[in-house]
Amino acid sequence: MLKSLTRMVSTAARLSTRTTAGSWARALEPFGRPALCVPNSATTRPFTRSIWMMRNSGSTSGYRPTLLSSSRDIPSVSCGCGGLHTEGDKAFAEFLSDEIKEEKKIKKHQSLPKMSGGWEIDLNGTEAKLIRTLAGEKVSVTFNINNSIPPNFEEEAEQGQKDAENEPEILSTPNFVVEVAKQASNTSLVFDCHYPEDEASHGEGEEESDIFAIREVSFQPIGDGDWKETSYTLNTDSLDWALYDHLMDFLADRGVDNTFADELIELSTALEHQEYISFLENLSGFVKCQ
Amino acid sequence: MSLVLRNLQKAVPLRRARLRRDVETLRQIFGIQKFDLGLICVDNRRIQRINGIYRGMKMPTDVLSFPFYEDMETGKPPGHLRGEELNLGDIFLGVEYIMDQCRDESRDFHSILPVMVAHGICHLLGYRHETEEELTQMFQREKHILNEFSRLTGNQLEPLTKTDGYDR
Repeated sequence: MLKSLTRMVSTAARLSTRTTAGSWARALEPFGRPALCVPNSATTRPFTRSIWMMRNSGSTSGYRPTLLSSSRDIPSVSCGCGGLHTEGDKAFAEFLSDEIKEEKKIKKHQSLPKMSGGWEIDLNGTEAKLIRTLAGEKVSVTFNINNSIPPNFEEEAEQGQKDAENEPEILSTPNFVVEVAKQASNTSLVFDCHYPEDEASHGEGEEESDIFAIREVSFQPIGDGDWKETSYTLNTDSLDWALYDHLMDFLADRGVDNTFADELIELSTALEHQEYISFLENLSGFVKCQ
Repeated sequence: MSLVLRNLQKAVPLRRARLRRDVETLRQIFGIQKFDLGLICVDNRRIQRINGIYRGMKMPTDVLSFPFYEDMETGKPPGHLRGEELNLGDIFLGVEYIMDQCRDESRDFHSILPVMVAHGICHLLGYRHETEEELTQMFQREKHILNEFSRLTGNQLEPLTKTDGYDR
């Protein structure tokens, strides 16, 4: 809950800071040293460059008692980054510092939790790939933690506000893709899986969906980055239940079962939180021009 | 109509295809293929919770049945009388509890599940075992069903209901 609310506050702070920065910019920039600085963002670069041009052109076209010669008492820019520094930025940076401390305090895992069953993990930003080799078969599971927290969380968070002791836990439940490749084949069997959002689970707590479910199954070329849309895709919405159960057993035999799905939530939640803290730190550094 | 199978637990590895095949065989023997049936596999924590809420018994158990129609004639599928929704109800299997029992008695977990489901279906069909007469009636139906199941599958299964008293 804390995270959700603070995220909303962060967004609000960012919006208000941006608005403030926009209105202050014309007054502040003349006292900067844009010609000596390396602008560090696409949003600030055009404006600083235009001010620099104004100052230069002013020297050739006579005295211009406008922005560049103003003697009003305007806060000075304290660093040479070429970026803008406002009171809002300062407050924002302080807020982020507190937020990062809080998030680190509630961080469950210092390092990412291990998956049982001998899965190797390969991270690429927000995407994670778990790989396991079994008797000539390579099984890989890919998921991305972006947008992996169900949107109904905020509603639960509001309810949770009533009882701080029972603060709801943020869980990352990403869609995940299982690829099973056999040595002798140049195609892999691909399962598009997800965690069903069970309406009942928000009521009495008697959810009746499987922990995870298969949404689609298709064959895809091994090593081809692009999804081949022309491959027949088996949708499980109208599937013979017996076939569905065999597909689930097939996955279970390869280590993708309810235990795996449960551990994946724990791993994804830890990774999501780690990336969130990292984002906040980057944001703080960006705001402070570090 | 369909058998809806849900596996909500991770305590016990479940072979879904085998369980479905066995329950489909039971449905044929009971003559209830045209009815929807829900089969939900849960762990000790959840079946204990359900047992506590609906039966006031805060302990795990093996099987709990929730008939769609509650006031029905014993042994007769509801559609025979009503022509209403073809739904028998739900059976919750406490698979973790069942697995523990199987370990204690050195029995095969997946072979014993049809016994539990047969017992659960009997409850969905209105059988009870609160009196001696009900107990005998339910035992006989279960015995008949499991004998037929054993004949078709080659397994030798005994009813969960015991004639010397069963109170679940």
